[in-house]
Order: sequence, then structure tokens, then C-alpha cells
Amino acid sequence: MSKPTDLVQGTLDLLILKTLALEPMHGWAIAQRIQQLSKDVLQVQQGSLYPALHRLEQQAWIQAEWGESDNNRRAKYYSLTKAGRRQLGREAVSWERLSSAISAIVRA
Amino acid sequence: MRWLKILRLRFRSLFQHAALERELDDELRFHFKQQMEQNIAAGMDPEGARTAALREFGQIAQHKDECRDARGTRLIESFWEDSRYAIRNLRRDPFLALAATLTLAVCIGANTTVFSVANSILIRPLPYPNSDRIDWISARTGPAQEEIVAAPDYFMLRDQNRIFEEVGTCDPATVNWTGIERPERLDVASASPSFFRLMGTQPLIGRYLTRDEEGPKAAPVAILSYEFWRNRFGADPQIIGKTIALDRLPRTIVGVMPQGFDFPRGANLWLPNLLLDRATQSFPLAPNRPILIVSMLGRRKPEVTQLEAATEMKRLSFAMRAAYPEAMRNNGFRQDLTLSAFSLQEHLAGPLRPAILVLSGAVSLVLLIACANIANLLLARAGSRYREIAVRMALGSGRSRIIRQMLTESLVLTIPGAALGIGLAWLAVRLLDASKPAILVRYPAISMDWRVLAFTLALMVATSVLFGFVPALSAAGIRIGDALKSAGLAHSAGRGAARTRKILVVAELGVSLVLLIGAGLLTRSFLHLAHTELGFPSDHLLTFRVNPVGFSFDRNDNPFLFEILERVRHLPIVRSAALSADIPLSEIGLPNAGAVQVVGRPLVPIRDRPMISNSLVSPEFFQTLGIRLNRGRIFDAHDFIGVRAGARPDILLREPVIVNEAFVRRVFPGEEPLGRQLAPGPSEKPVTWTIVGVVSDIRSASLGSDPPATIYRCSCSGVPLYRGGFLVRTSVAPDLAVRAIEQQVRLVDRDQPISDVKTMDQRRDAALAPERFQLILLGSFAMIAIVLAAAGVYGTMSYLVTRRTREIGIRMAMGARQADVLRMVLGETTVLVLLAIVAGLGGAWALTRYIRSMLYGMSELDTTTFAVTSVLLAAIVLIASLGPARRAVSIDPMTALRDE
Repeated sequence: MSKPTDLVQGTLDLLILKTLALEPMHGWAIAQRIQQLSKDVLQVQQGSLYPALHRLEQQAWIQAEWGESDNNRRAKYYSLTKAGRRQLGREAVSWERLSSAISAIVRA
Repeated sequence: MRWLKILRLRFRSLFQHAALERELDDELRFHFKQQMEQNIAAGMDPEGARTAALREFGQIAQHKDECRDARGTRLIESFWEDSRYAIRNLRRDPFLALAATLTLAVCIGANTTVFSVANSILIRPLPYPNSDRIDWISARTGPAQEEIVAAPDYFMLRDQNRIFEEVGTCDPATVNWTGIERPERLDVASASPSFFRLMGTQPLIGRYLTRDEEGPKAAPVAILSYEFWRNRFGADPQIIGKTIALDRLPRTIVGVMPQGFDFPRGANLWLPNLLLDRATQSFPLAPNRPILIVSMLGRRKPEVTQLEAATEMKRLSFAMRAAYPEAMRNNGFRQDLTLSAFSLQEHLAGPLRPAILVLSGAVSLVLLIACANIANLLLARAGSRYREIAVRMALGSGRSRIIRQMLTESLVLTIPGAALGIGLAWLAVRLLDASKPAILVRYPAISMDWRVLAFTLALMVATSVLFGFVPALSAAGIRIGDALKSAGLAHSAGRGAARTRKILVVAELGVSLVLLIGAGLLTRSFLHLAHTELGFPSDHLLTFRVNPVGFSFDRNDNPFLFEILERVRHLPIVRSAALSADIPLSEIGLPNAGAVQVVGRPLVPIRDRPMISNSLVSPEFFQTLGIRLNRGRIFDAHDFIGVRAGARPDILLREPVIVNEAFVRRVFPGEEPLGRQLAPGPSEKPVTWTIVGVVSDIRSASLGSDPPATIYRCSCSGVPLYRGGFLVRTSVAPDLAVRAIEQQVRLVDRDQPISDVKTMDQRRDAALAPERFQLILLGSFAMIAIVLAAAGVYGTMSYLVTRRTREIGIRMAMGARQADVLRMVLGETTVLVLLAIVAGLGGAWALTRYIRSMLYGMSELDTTTFAVTSVLLAAIVLIASLGPARRAVSIDPMTALRDE
């Protein structure tokens, strides 16, 4: 049972945390937002999104709340916790370091 | 606060399972609907939008599962699921559940019981504050490195050591409780004040000894044990200040120790040690002063390491060797003195440790056999579950998931057995503690505590993994295609399973043989011991001790003891009576032993002279016991007439002594011993002993050892009989004489109790008690093992016969006779047994060395035992496989072939 991940493990977590840093939103919106912001380069599969959301919730980096969606459906809204915000900072830093290292090698 | 949130989330995952599932459903459905709407908005028709959304969504069930994994409590949840499933399964197979439960109850019960004993004696800390810092301090000297701690060692160690907070002495002693209707001998302890401080326990009421209550000037005080205070004084709260007469001396009761303060074990009272006199018992030693022998304990300082302690003890050993006068060391006393300190618990458990370890080993072997048996049962069932598992795997269960489920089933199967086992062990422990087998009397009471419970739980899990992993692996190894294709064949678990089962049976038979051999060796040794000749008839022989009131090294109580002897001897029911310092097979005290030099032979250094035990007896000793006089004569009072008058005539310089045959064999092999002279002790002494008689040997020390070389000295010589042992040959049953004898003693001194009253047959019986105890336990383990193994053989052979029903049917249809079929089945059994015997003999060869010290008069590789137990095993196995063999023979070829 290998988990199909389109993104480097851990990167999806970073994207989710970053997306939620703007405002609370539900799973579908998160996927849409990531797709938009990346100009359709990154497509988040549901099969990866929801396990990742639940994992982050269990780590208490995000928390969930049921609310009304734009079209009056009950939806589960996720928002960043304090610990999540700190984690986002840590992951962003380490991502910067990793990506600059990789591009340094690629350009060399 | 993050961890708090996480904890709340985990809690929710565990206990609000249904709500979480519903939320997960809702969340995914919302996503799905959003996707569908988007598709419709993009211009698809509703049906097409739905299909597209579904396609995009992928396997919903799998996504859900991954979300559940994220909850982190997945293992526990699936454990509950599997447990419920396992219970349903077991209900369908009550025979398996019953067989496994009974087997495990017995085996886990036995293991828990043995562990309770080990825990109570070896593991559980002694009931004193920080008891891990209480050390037993030992001094070993001489070529045999005997443990002899002397009072000067105590004073020196107390003053000069750098590792102990406190050093103290405490020695078992006996006193007579006088001034009461029926005087009584009491077990007490004489202690230094520091002893109480080092034990760390505060008195329940009153106080313990103060610093100045040591040595001859100590006030006559006494401290009671809790049991003595409760049982003999009705737990009188006003006890402090009252007096108790001990050896006619009124002593003031100053304190009561709390329950559980029980060192030395069984002490009723603690008294100041009057003989522990710094003036005479410390360095530099005055010449010709008797030296007091003590037991020494210490409380280590908290920061002292093992290494520091060892180094310090070495330093003190050297310092102490130098402190003893050279003349003493030259005479062999305190030669090669070595001090050491180790935990008091280790010291207390010492003698029982090997027996407990052997029993633990044996009982865990029994559990191994039980595991093999249950694994066998599970394998038999695996055949019928073959398809079920294949279907589960086809539906997507991973191998690890199947293994986990099978192991969960094993665990569930173990739980009732373990619970029953704990119950059985609880009963057994109560029984052990109540019946107080002689071997355990000197040790802490046996009881269960949380350690035992933890052990049993661990044992339960270990057991379930042990018997579960073979079936689990074989289940996980199923190939789905094959399994589903071979529909209907319940026994298609295949050749692999048959081989596994045979291996398990061989293993359990082998282990049983090891246990059988162990029990067989102990049995033979026990019989050997029980039939050992004492060297004298033990019937109609009563023995007891009279410890004179007010014992003192300075007084000679012989006339008092002789007077009692005279009175006892004239009782009409007494045939003859004698006095002896040492009672044969008595646990109290070792006979005196000393180096002797044969006069006329070249002088050798004292350390090279033979150490011979010498026993002080009255002239009637030999006739009373029935010891034969082989040569010469028995000494009698006439030899010592001058001594009685108080003079010290020549006779004492050539004291007549009697030796036994063992002595002659050792010192005068092939020579005439009569008339030869021996010089005891340091050679400057003018005293010599003249051998006037040679008598037959008796086993005086123990049943298990050869009769020691002995020199008998006559009590008429005036040497004090510190320990007055009486031997009385009666014309009636010996216990009937006790009252009359007691009366005679009271007529001489109404405060004098008699103690240690036992017939010689009772002493003989008591001497066998440790061996009997070990034999009973190991024997019952072997018995359980062989029953289990026989059941295993029966099960496996039945299985093999059933599996080959068709083959046998064909063979019979082709003309095989019943005898051929019988030969085939029994032949298979024989191969198994032979393999098991080879394995078992090998195992026994490797393991029996651990019981060598428990065997008397035989090798641990005793051929007879090995052979007899092997034959026994073979016989039991053949009997167990007769049933399946008969079934094979009675197979009707027609039915067998039609059935398939």
C-alpha cells in the first residue's frame, strides 16, 4: 500500500500550512487554492490531501471546525493553530535552504 | 499546550470512533459534491459529471483508510476489532479454547508460582529502608576459606572503614524463659546497638539499644519482636518497663520492633551482646583470650560504588592480617584472611539460589512444551481456516495485517488461561506459605505482589507470540490463487504444515525427555539418600538438648548435665541414655574440628596437619547408639578418677580417646592405631591423646556426605559440654518418653526447659526435606510435560492419519494388510521418537550439570537414568499413538475412496 504522492513528502504539509495561514478554509478550497496559486502546475490529489489534513490535525498544527460553505453546505473548515504557525515558519526556512541548495547544484 | 491538544485528539479517536467516522464521511462527500458541481459548471451532464468526479476521486475506501491511519490509534482500534473477531472464532471451536485454556492455566500457574518463590526470596527487596545498601560482611580464612568473623574484626572495621555509615553485629542465640509455669527455650539475637541503626527500622513502641548498651556493662534490657509481643503478651500497649526473666535474669523491656523486622529470622527478642567487649575483643589482642565469633553487617554510604567497596575491603583485609599476632597466623587461625561485603539479600538467599534457578528453568521448559502443543492445535485449525484467510487476502488484507490478526487471536486465546493460572498460583502460594516446607523456613514468607502480576502479564504476551507465530507465519504464507482453487479440501494446508507439526512434536518430546531425565536423576539420588545407612539403628531413639540456664564460658555445667543423665537413665522406659555435644543429623552447630599431629612422625607445619572433627561424648554413647567397638576398649569414668577430684594428674596429659574407622583409614592406613598418640592444636602444648579403641563409622554430619573422620573424647575428662545433647534409647515409642524425661529435668532444676526434642527418625526425615521438596516440584513438572507431550503426539498422529486416509484406502485396496498399515503408522511414530530421544539426550547432556550439586552418590550423566527415561518416553509415545494407529487400521477402503 504505497501512498501516491505527487509532491515531495513534507512539501504538501508546507503548502497546506501556507495556504491556511491566509484564512480558514475547507479541503476542497485548499486544493483549488494550491492549484490556482501554482498556475495549475501543482495538482493535489484527494488521496493525498485528506490524509495529510488529518495528520496535521492530529499533530495539533491545524484545527478543524464545521461551518457553512458559500453554497450553504456543511463543510469542515481548517485553520492554523499557534503551534502550526510556528511549524510553518520552521518548514518555510528549511524549504528555502533545500530549494536554494538544489538550484545551486542545478545551475552549477 | 500542544501535547494537551494532541492527547485530547487521541482520546477522541479512541472513544468517539463513530462520530469521527461520520465526520470523515461528511467531509469526503462534501468534496465529492463540490467536484461534481464544478464539472457540471464546466458543461458536463449530471451523470457524466458524477462519473468524472468519481474517477478523479479514486478509491474512496483506501483514502478513508489512510485518513484513519493518520489518527495514530489505529493499532489499538484494529486490536479491538481483531479481538472481537477472535472471540467469535473461538466460540465456534470450544474444544480448542478449552484445551488451550486448561494447558495454559496449569503451565502459567506453575510458572507464576515458581516466580513468586523466586521473587519473594531473590528479587523483592528486604523490608528495611534502603535495604539495597545493607551488606553482609564476611571474613574467610584458612585453606578452605571458611567464613569466620571475629569480634576484633568488627571493632577494627567499625573504626577504620571509609565506606560504611554503620557496622554492627547480630547473632542468633538461645535463652531460657524462666520464672514461668513451663520454662521455654527462646530463639533470640544478641546485637550491637549499631545493628538497629544500620537496619534503619524505627521501633514500633519504645526504643532500641542505645550506644552504650554494648559489652559486659550493658543494662539488662530486651527488645521484643512484633510476633512475640502480639502472641505472648497480647499486644500489651503498656509493655515498656515491664520485665521478662531470661536465664533467671530479669530484663527490662524497652522496645517492640514493628511487624516484618525479622533478622535473624525467627528471633523473638534482641538483647545487648554482653560478650562484645571492646577491652578484651579488640586489637592488640591479649594472648590466650577466647575470641568471640560474630556475624557482621554494614550499611554502605549512599555514594559508594561497587568498585570502591571492593578496593576498601581489600585494603582492610591487609590491615587486619597484620593486626593479628603472628603466632596465631602460624597456627592457621586467620591465615589468608579475606574480607568481603555483598548484599544481605544475596547472603540470605544464597543456599536456595541454585534450586530456585533450576526449578525456574524446568518450569519454563514446561511452558515451552505447552506452547508447542497449542501451536499444534492452531495449525490443525489453520487447515480449515485456509480459505477464509485466502479470501481476506484477496480482498486486500496485507500479510502484516493477517499476522497481526492471528497474533491477536493467540493473545485472546491466552487471556482466560492466564487468569486461571494466576488463580491457581495464588492457591499454590497460599498452600506453600501455610505448609511451610522445611526448606523454606529460614527464608522470607512466600507471597505475591505487583511484580508477580507484571511477570504473568509479560509471560502471557510472550506465550501468545511464541505459540502464535508459527501458525501466523504459515497463514501469511498462503498463496491466494492456490487456496481458492483447491476448493473444499480442508486439509490442503499441505506438506509444509505436516512437517511443521512433526518438528513441533519432536521438540516437545525432546524437552520432555530433558525434564524426565532431570526428575529421574533427582529420584535416584533421593532413593540413594533415603536408603543410606546411618551406621546405627534410628528407631526408638529420642534426642533433645538441655542448654543450661545462664550459659557462660567460665562455668562448667557438666555435673548438672550428668545429674540429668543419671535420672533419665533410671527411668523404666529408658534402655540406655548418653550425652553428646553433637546430635547426629542435627542442624545446630558444627562439631569441633582441629588439626592433629601424630606423635612420633616428623613435625609438619600446623596448616599441613589433617583437620579432624572431635566430638565430646559420655561413655554410654556407643552402646546407646549401637556403634560397634571393632578394636580396643571404650573409655569410662575410671580413666578420669583423678580429674573428678579436681586435680590435674598425668592422665590428662595422655587422655584416652576413641577414633572411628574413617579416621584410621585417613591417618593410619595399614598401621596399628591402638596405643598411638596424637597431639592436638599447637605442638607446644604438653597434652596428648592416646587411642584406646576403634569404633564403626556413623553419618553424623549429613546423609549426603561420607562419615567424617572423628575422634571421640570422653565428657568425663572435664572439658565442658557447652551444648548438652541427649540421646535416649527407649523401650516404648520414643515420643511417649518425652513427658517423663521433662519431669526428671524439672526435678533437677525447675527453670530448665528441654528443647529441639526430636526422634532420630524425625531428624532423618528432616534431613531429606530439601531433596524431597525439589523432587516433588521437578517431578510434577516432568509429569505435566509428559502428559502434554503425549497429547501432542496423539493430536499429531491423528492429524497425519486423517490426512492420509485416502492414501491408506488406496494401499488397502491394492492389497496392503492391516499389519502393513499398522507398521506404517507406528513406523512414523518411531522415527519421531528416535529423533526426540537423540535431541533430548543431547539437551540433558548439556543441562544436567546444573543439578550436579543436588545429586548424591551418582553422576549427573547417570547412564541408567538416561536409558530408563528414554525407554519410558518411547513407551508413552507408542501408547499415545495406538489410538490413531487403530483408526488407520480400521479404515474401510471403499468409504475412504468414496469420500474424496
